Amino acid sequence: MQLILSTAGSYPRIGDVPDLQRHRRAYAQRERGDISAEELRKVEDEVVAGVIREQIEAGIEVVTDGLIRWYDPYSHFARGVEGVEINGLLRLFDTNFYFRQPVVKGRLRRRGPILLPEYEFARSVSSRPVKPVLTGPYTLARGSIVEAGYRSVHELALAYAEVLAAEVGELSRAGAQLIQLDEPAIVRHPENLNVLEAALAVVGRERGAARLLLHTPFGDVAPLYRDLQALPVDALGLDFTYSPKLPALIADLGSAKPLALGLIDARNTKLETRESVFPVLDAILPALKTGPTYLMPSCGLEFLPRERARLKLETLKRLRDAYLGGRS
Amino acid sequence: MSREKLKRLGVELPLLPTSTVGSFPKTPELAEARTKYTRNQITRAELETLEKRATEFWIRTQEEIGLDVLVDGEQYRGDMVAYFAELMGGFQTGGLVRSYGNRYYHKPAIVGEVKWPGPMTVQWWRWTQSLTKKPVKGMLTGPYTVMDWSFNDHYRDRKSACLALAGELRKEAEALIEAGARIIQIDEPAISVRQEELSFAIEAMHLTVDGLPAYFITHACYGAFETIYPDMLELPVDNLDLAISNSALDLLKIFEKDPFTKDLSLGVLDVHNHRIETPTEIKARVMRGVRVLTPERVWVDPDCGLKTRTVEESRRKLETMLTAVRELRTELA
Ligand SMILES: [Zn+2]
Repeated sequence: MQLILSTAGSYPRIGDVPDLQRHRRAYAQRERGDISAEELRKVEDEVVAGVIREQIEAGIEVVTDGLIRWYDPYSHFARGVEGVEINGLLRLFDTNFYFRQPVVKGRLRRRGPILLPEYEFARSVSSRPVKPVLTGPYTLARGSIVEAGYRSVHELALAYAEVLAAEVGELSRAGAQLIQLDEPAIVRHPENLNVLEAALAVVGRERGAARLLLHTPFGDVAPLYRDLQALPVDALGLDFTYSPKLPALIADLGSAKPLALGLIDARNTKLETRESVFPVLDAILPALKTGPTYLMPSCGLEFLPRERARLKLETLKRLRDAYLGGRS
Repeated sequence: MSREKLKRLGVELPLLPTSTVGSFPKTPELAEARTKYTRNQITRAELETLEKRATEFWIRTQEEIGLDVLVDGEQYRGDMVAYFAELMGGFQTGGLVRSYGNRYYHKPAIVGEVKWPGPMTVQWWRWTQSLTKKPVKGMLTGPYTVMDWSFNDHYRDRKSACLALAGELRKEAEALIEAGARIIQIDEPAISVRQEELSFAIEAMHLTVDGLPAYFITHACYGAFETIYPDMLELPVDNLDLAISNSALDLLKIFEKDPFTKDLSLGVLDVHNHRIETPTEIKARVMRGVRVLTPERVWVDPDCGLKTRTVEESRRKLETMLTAVRELRTELA
C-alpha cells in the first residue's frame, strides 16, 4: 500500500511574523514603482523556494510551487492570452477570496508559455517532484464574461482548452509527471459535463507521458462521482469536506482511476485526527483498483494562515505514517 | 402586514421608506486617525472622539438628505464580522489570510464556547439615536455569516457553531430592544454561499429573533436572491433587502411563481460604481418592485454598504435616490 502525500495547489505566501512578510512588502513596493519587476521576481523566487522547502520539511512528497506568482486562478491565465481583458473582483465560489474576472473580447491566442518558466524554477529548487497546477478550461470559461468571439460556454471552454493543451504539452516535455487541472465549476454545473469532457479531451491530447489529475474542490462531488470516472483524465482529486456520503459511495463503486483524497480540510484551522481520517481510509482504500493513491488537503492551503497550513501538512504526514504503521 | 407591526412598535414611516444598508465611508479625518492609531501615534480615547465626530457628521448628512431610517454609519467598526469576534468570548484573532491581490486580513477563529460579552453595539446605538428624532436601526451581523467568516477550531461542525452564535447574538438584539431600538437589521451576506446549509442558517435566525418585539430586516448581498429564492422567504424577518441595481431580474416573473411574502427593500444604487445614477434610472428600478408588490411594502436603499465610495459620492447618490423617491411618492399617492 502506497499513500503519497501531496499539496493541492496554493500555499500561503506570507506569515504573521515580519520575516515572513517580504512578499507582501515587495508587492506593495512594486505597485508604488519603488522596485522593478525584476526585483519583485527575485523575491517571488525566494518565496517559492521557501514554500517548497516548508512542504518538504513537513513531509510532502509531491509539492507545488504554492502558486505564489498568481494574482488569482483566473487572471493568471487570462493575462497570458490575447483576446482577454481583466475585469473587477468576483467572489471565488463560497470562499472569502476574490478573483479578477476575465472578459473575452475576441478570439483567444496564447501569447507564450505561462507556467513553463514557473515550473522550471520550482523544479530547480525542489528535491521532490513538482506538480504544476492549471485552472481547467471549463472553470475558466464559466468564470469569464463573453463580449465577443464565442457564442457559448462550450465554444469558449474549447478555446481555453487549446491554450491549456499547449501549456500541458510544454510542462510534460519539461519533465512534469503529474499535472493537476482544477475544475471546481463543474460541481455547480453538472449539466455541462459534456462540455468538460470535450475540453479535457483537447487538453489531454498534449499530455505525452504526464498524467492528468482532475481536481474538483468547493462542492459536493458525490452526485458527479460516476460521471467523473468516465472523463478522459488519468486520476481524480476529491474534496471530501462537502461530501459526507462520498466515502461510502467510493467504497461501494470503487474507482477505476487513481484517486487523490482531499481528506484534510484546507478551509478550516481545526486539525484532523485519527478518528476523523482513519475510518474514511478504511472504507475507501480496499475499493481502489489501481494506484498510486495520494493524500492531500481538500484544496489549496491559501485559505489558512501560514503557520496553520504547515501544521495541516504535518498532521497529514503524521496520520499517514500512523495509518500505514498500524496496518503493517 | 408589516406596516402595522411598525405602527404597533410606534414607528410611522412615509410611503417608500428610504434607508441605507449600514456602512458609510470613514471621513478623511477619521481614516487618517485610524492609521495613526495602528501606529500608536494617538490614543484610543482620541480615536473615539473622532469616531463620534464622524458618526455625528453622518447623522446630520442623513438628515439633510432626508433619509427616513438612519444608521450610525459604522465609523467605529472595521470588518463586519471581526468587530463582533473581537468583542465576544470564545474568539481569537486569527492569522493573516489573503482576500485578493496583495490584501490580507486577520480571519477570526472560534477557539472555545462563544459568549456574549454584554452589549457590543448598544452604547453606540443609544448615543446615535440621541442625536436625531428619526429612527436609527440597530445593526448586527447574523450568526451564519459570523460562522462562515471565522475559522472553527472548537465546535463539532459548522451548524453547531452557527447555532451557538445565534443564541449569543440574540442577547445583543434583546439589549438593543431594551435600549429602545425598534428596527434591527441583521446582515447575512454569506447566506447564499452554500445552499445546502440554508436550513440551519434559517434555524439560527429563528433562535436569534423569534418572539422579540422589533421590525427585523436582513440584507444579503448581490446574487443571493437568484440562488436561494424562494427558500429565503423562510427567514423569520419582516423585510428582505435585495440588490437589484445591477441585475436584470424579472421580479414579476419570479414573484408570480413564488409570491413574495415580506416587505422588500430594493437596493437601487450601485455602491461599487463611481457613477451617480439619474433619478429616472432610480425611479425605473423602484417601479420594478412597486409593479409587483404594493408600494406599501417597498423600501428603497443602496444595494450594499457605501463604505467603498467617497463621502461626496455617497451623498450625491443618496440625494438622487431621495429626489427619485419624492417624485414617486407624489405620483403614486
Ligand atoms: Zn451587501
